[in-house]
Amino acid sequence: MLKLLCRGMTHLAIVRPRTVIAAMVISTLAIVATAALPSLWPERFSALHGIEVDTDPENMLSEQEPVRLFHHEAKERFNLSDMIVVGVTNPSHAQGAFNAATLERVYRLTEFAKQLQWEIDGQREGVLSIDLLAPSTVDNIEQGGLGSVNFSWLMSAPPADDRAAAQVLERAQTIPFLNGTLVSEDGEALALYLPISKKELAYRIRNELLEFTHGWEQAGDNVYITGLPVAEDTFGVEMFIQMAISAPLAMLVIFLLLWLFFKKLILVASPMIVAMVASLATMGLLIATGNTIHIMSSMIPIFIMPIAVLDAVHILSEFFDRYGHHRDKRKTITEVIETLFAPMLFTTLTTMAGFASLYLTPIPPVQVFGLYIAIGVFLAWLWTMLFIPAYIMLIDERRLEGYGHHEGERPSLLGRTLAATGHITTRRPWTVIAATALAVVIAVIGIGRITVNDNPTRWFEESHPIRVADRVLNDHFGGTYMGYLELAAPAGPATFDIAAMQARLTERQRVAADAGNASAPYQRIQALLAAASGDPSVELQTVIDSGLDAAVDDANYYAWDDLQGWLDTEQQRSQLFKQPAMLNWLDQLQTALLANPSVGKVNSLPDVVKTVHRELRLGAAEQYRIPATANAVGQTLITYQNSHRPHDLWHFVTPDYRHTVLWIQLTSGDNQDMEQVIATAEQFIAANPPPQAAEHHWFGLTYINVVWQGKMVAGMLEAFLGSFVVVLVMMVFLFRSLLWGLLAMIPLAVTVGLIYGVIGLIGKDYDMPVAVLSALSLGLAVDYAIHFLARAREAVAAAGSWGAATDEVFGEPARAISRNAIILGAGFTPLLAAPLVPYQTVGIFIASIIVCAAVATLLILPALITYLQRWLLKTR
Amino acid sequence: MHSRAHPLYRCAAILLAAVGLGYAPLGAAEQAPTVEQIVHRANYTSYYQGKSGRAQVSMTITDSQLRVRQRELTILRLDASDSDNPDDASYQSDQKFYLYFKRPADVNKMVFLVWKHLASDDDRWLYLPDMDLVKRIAASDQRTSFVGSDHFYEDVSGRSLEADHHQLTGSDGDYYIINNTPLAPDQVEFSRYEMYIHKSSFIPVQTTYYDKQGEPYRVATVLAVSEIEGYPTVTSAKMQDLRSGSTTVMNYTAVDYNVALDDELFTERYLRRPPRAQLR
Repeated sequence: MLKLLCRGMTHLAIVRPRTVIAAMVISTLAIVATAALPSLWPERFSALHGIEVDTDPENMLSEQEPVRLFHHEAKERFNLSDMIVVGVTNPSHAQGAFNAATLERVYRLTEFAKQLQWEIDGQREGVLSIDLLAPSTVDNIEQGGLGSVNFSWLMSAPPADDRAAAQVLERAQTIPFLNGTLVSEDGEALALYLPISKKELAYRIRNELLEFTHGWEQAGDNVYITGLPVAEDTFGVEMFIQMAISAPLAMLVIFLLLWLFFKKLILVASPMIVAMVASLATMGLLIATGNTIHIMSSMIPIFIMPIAVLDAVHILSEFFDRYGHHRDKRKTITEVIETLFAPMLFTTLTTMAGFASLYLTPIPPVQVFGLYIAIGVFLAWLWTMLFIPAYIMLIDERRLEGYGHHEGERPSLLGRTLAATGHITTRRPWTVIAATALAVVIAVIGIGRITVNDNPTRWFEESHPIRVADRVLNDHFGGTYMGYLELAAPAGPATFDIAAMQARLTERQRVAADAGNASAPYQRIQALLAAASGDPSVELQTVIDSGLDAAVDDANYYAWDDLQGWLDTEQQRSQLFKQPAMLNWLDQLQTALLANPSVGKVNSLPDVVKTVHRELRLGAAEQYRIPATANAVGQTLITYQNSHRPHDLWHFVTPDYRHTVLWIQLTSGDNQDMEQVIATAEQFIAANPPPQAAEHHWFGLTYINVVWQGKMVAGMLEAFLGSFVVVLVMMVFLFRSLLWGLLAMIPLAVTVGLIYGVIGLIGKDYDMPVAVLSALSLGLAVDYAIHFLARAREAVAAAGSWGAATDEVFGEPARAISRNAIILGAGFTPLLAAPLVPYQTVGIFIASIIVCAAVATLLILPALITYLQRWLLKTR
Repeated sequence: MHSRAHPLYRCAAILLAAVGLGYAPLGAAEQAPTVEQIVHRANYTSYYQGKSGRAQVSMTITDSQLRVRQRELTILRLDASDSDNPDDASYQSDQKFYLYFKRPADVNKMVFLVWKHLASDDDRWLYLPDMDLVKRIAASDQRTSFVGSDHFYEDVSGRSLEADHHQLTGSDGDYYIINNTPLAPDQVEFSRYEMYIHKSSFIPVQTTYYDKQGEPYRVATVLAVSEIEGYPTVTSAKMQDLRSGSTTVMNYTAVDYNVALDDELFTERYLRRPPRAQLR
């Protein structure tokens, strides 16, 4: 059946080359048009899907993912927004950023930032000015003389002189939720926090701010802009620039190398055309089907290109070696395709299997990535098998004159090296096997040392302004990465301790009797309580309301009024985070978190209560504490709300006081560090359970990154193991032998092991790009093994024995593999110049995988065949 | 931005008509009042009717997520001036306010005392019963939130007419439109505010505050008016913060004018000993 398919396709390509080429061009253009038209004119082609960019790492999780749903729910509950952080330092001034001139500029910057809003889809989007944190938008709470407490703007107008500027710093440093957040504890830097309504506007806002602050450096000010939304959105923009530069550059290098090896420009163009067609059609399909261009999918062309070129190079290489012999392109191409058809079909299927396996991961962008690369690989194979023969058929035979490898020609350096390799590996198989074993040991040690970690900020190079800003700001401040820990009263109806309510009512009545209140209302309520089952609140309220309305005299009125107070107090017992015991516990949890080196600062409800309490108590340091009763806490907080920003309280607690949140500022966005912070909190909570039952939940972008990373690591491992088995089954089927099948998997296993071993040894974090590369190695590494083994078997069949076939195998087939590896390995080096780290990672790893797989194939396989030939060749 | 104001003040107009407030325009009907007369009448209607007053206030703060908080308090007011004449400046005087909180339970018995001075900064005290603490609140800025609501302190006790420049920019049906610009723009967060003042009752039915960028961000609207003891009285008013999406509605019940209030009530001594009889 394979033969039939092979002949049919070759026949079609040779007899109707123009039809084949036309079909390729038309189908590709049609797909590209479907995607391009709605992208360029979205109104006119509204029925079609245009290009849509998505750089939000949150989308690494499905929209229905519980952790993501909770994240949004909790963010809304506390009115929290993603923040852009703008840091200002002035190293040239003795007072740092806190000098009159800098603060005047900061004041203007704040006013400018307040109005960064745009009309988008009928909504005003942009900076949420009401929650903007800047010296001129926050309140100072302090002693106002004569035992008064003063709420005033920290900086209502630009300071008149440097002395006034220094006071802004001094004041802010006495307020815990400003110190280390708005002003640095070292007194050198200040930071503005710009909450934004849409993460997608971060890049635009960053550019506006950069433009506004242009020229500040002449006055000595350094302005730094960072924050996760900025990193993510900026990455999205730069990603496109990378796509437009890196991929074509890689293609250019590959093209030049092909030209060097195969001399004829006209022939060399064909693999480039196949790579281009496969990439364009795949991306076109991706966009046209409504998928977004995510950081993952943006890399699809870079993955498809080597695979497409790889297929075509096998054909060109064979053609190059055989054309000199036949001097007939039709005959040569038919023969070449016949030899390569089965191995190429299988390499394609294995590569597809490797990538399609990513569909099993629970991460939507990775699923899309895997699926579309599988499609692209198929397209690359299809057009390699149809287009390349058709293309060759259309080349004037005279233009191929002098082309190809000529018998009797002095063997090239590559040829001589390969011949020597063949000798060594077959003469000294044990040396190779021992070396392999050593490599495996190193790999195992390295893999054991792999650290799983990621951080979107680190997707930029060290020298990138965002990385620099990140470093500087996290050096001065409590941290620009925010993790949120919510504590909540258990869901479900509140429970009522009727006996305790009765006891408290009796005590209240005793006190009230002294004030002359009537006793009948109290007895009425006591009776209702005695008869109550479940929640008595509604009934009690009704009775108290009518009692107040009907009170005939003061004694009765005040009794009912007092009962209303009692009922309110009872109902307030459910306000968990007004209870001093809970607040003190939260305070201890906060202290425990601060002991973690990654935690720079924690902002919380206890801080607010303690600060206001201190200022109410004449600013005495020992009064920096939680007051003793829930009512005193309530009165402290209502005092706090007499400020310019009463809504700030609801960023820490819900109005029903049943949910509160700790803002944990981390100086690092590394998932690893966030994981340790989580562990710190979990340990504390386990060892010190809250005085009243409370649940705790994490949220925030830094936490979400941890969650999807966990899913990715497990998912990738599963996908890799799954596809490893699938490929093994395919190999066994292809070679009709378990032993040969296993043999084909060895270079792959060694390559993957070594690559990940080296990652572990050099301390490179196992992050998202590294994870997906396992799929690529699976696809590429097995290719060489298939070609090598298939040709080795043919050679053995022709020559009679392995010993006699070695020279043949290390001739043309080994040359094809080596050329392939050199071209592709070198072809990906331009990616190393990319300013985005994931692209660099991908570049260096694709090159390493290819070279490593080629070397493993050419060394290990012949050694093992030599050693195992008794069993391998007997089984035939 | 007028279009934004229309539906709201129309709604209030209907309310005014419904309670049958047919006040004779001041002076002769054919003679249009001056801008000074209008703002004085509005100031009188809002803060100075009767020589003293009392009301039960129920305050409902609804945030953008429709979460509701309730506060209940009693307001006592005593004017220093014996005059109750809106047509000359004699009604204007220092005032004292005693605000006694009842609910929620944790602020029960909390008291807020204001001595409003025309010629100097106000004196303000806060009594926190559970800490047995009387705090003076520094007078520096009155445009801060009143107990976490969308109202400012200044909305409760009144903004001095001398603080702004007033301009009659037009009239719209039953309303005078007054544009007010602050004389000390650095001390306030608005660039101007615009009032729609009902022509016969002089109730400022809607006030819209504009920020420094010229965008409206805060709107006060009268929701209900009743005639009480001969005075047109706002019994329900709303303040909206357009930026936070929060709204505060104040409903006034048991409104009483010219009540007998002893000046001594409005002293620090009575913060700890609320005058029960006057607060009921």
